[in-house]
Amino acid sequence: MRYSYGIVDKKKILLYQPQLFLRRDEILIFPSRDFHAWYGDIKEYLDSLYQINAKNIGESEPISLTELTLAVGIINELAEELECLFDCENKVDLSYQYISTMAERYKKLSSNYSSDMRKCDIRIPVKPEITPYLKYQHIMEIIRHAEREFERSRSNLKDKPKNSQ
Amino acid sequence: MKMSQGEVKGRFAEPYHPEQFQNHEEVIVFTREEFNRTYRALQEHINHIEKIYFKFETGENWKLLGYWPEIMGKTHLLDVNMDSLFKKELQQCYLDVYLNNIIGDSEKKVVPSRRKVSVKL
Repeated sequence: MRYSYGIVDKKKILLYQPQLFLRRDEILIFPSRDFHAWYGDIKEYLDSLYQINAKNIGESEPISLTELTLAVGIINELAEELECLFDCENKVDLSYQYISTMAERYKKLSSNYSSDMRKCDIRIPVKPEITPYLKYQHIMEIIRHAEREFERSRSNLKDKPKNSQ
Repeated sequence: MKMSQGEVKGRFAEPYHPEQFQNHEEVIVFTREEFNRTYRALQEHINHIEKIYFKFETGENWKLLGYWPEIMGKTHLLDVNMDSLFKKELQQCYLDVYLNNIIGDSEKKVVPSRRKVSVKL
């Protein structure tokens, strides 16, 4: 996403990277510190959801109802926080800023769709359509090859006794 | 949060509500279209998770086994969308959407009338 920082100068904003925007682009302007605080809050909620999941990675028991209600509660808070972005009356709490330090391995989602299942589901489209004629030709080819091999082995057997004599 | 829409004019951006910001305050600027897209995507994912929860009845705890990976899948998408706010690269999924959105050919074949239409004077 194209974004740029800028500094307010009287009634205009001097952009640090104006080359990213086209002339007459419609833009949204947020105060930088407030935006980062909002971003940190949302990230904190998402990390907490990952934490609920991470607790259940090693366990044999599946997720419980209490954990589900906790997760949905977090989602509701997240939705409210999302709306706070456009609420002018809302005073942003700048005393606390969250920076996500969660390791990537906790964010890995184990899916029940295994690689074997995927191999079964892959359908490879074959360029020449397999008609009954093609199947017949294929079988005949195998038969002819087998016949040749058989003849060759029979001729070898006939030759060997003659050579040995 | 104090915010304003605005317009880009060369090196400067002109906010429509400059009184919201203090002088010499640092601001961050996004394009409205891209931010709108990401914001709506975030809302969609949250709505989806809430719908899963509303569908769920307390008696059927075994269904959680299937619902939970779906919820986690959506949180992963929420996470990816939040990360995309600060990534300079274009998101491939949106480019693909624009590629597929081919407007069909609107040229209709005009069949000439075989019969002469009588005009009543």
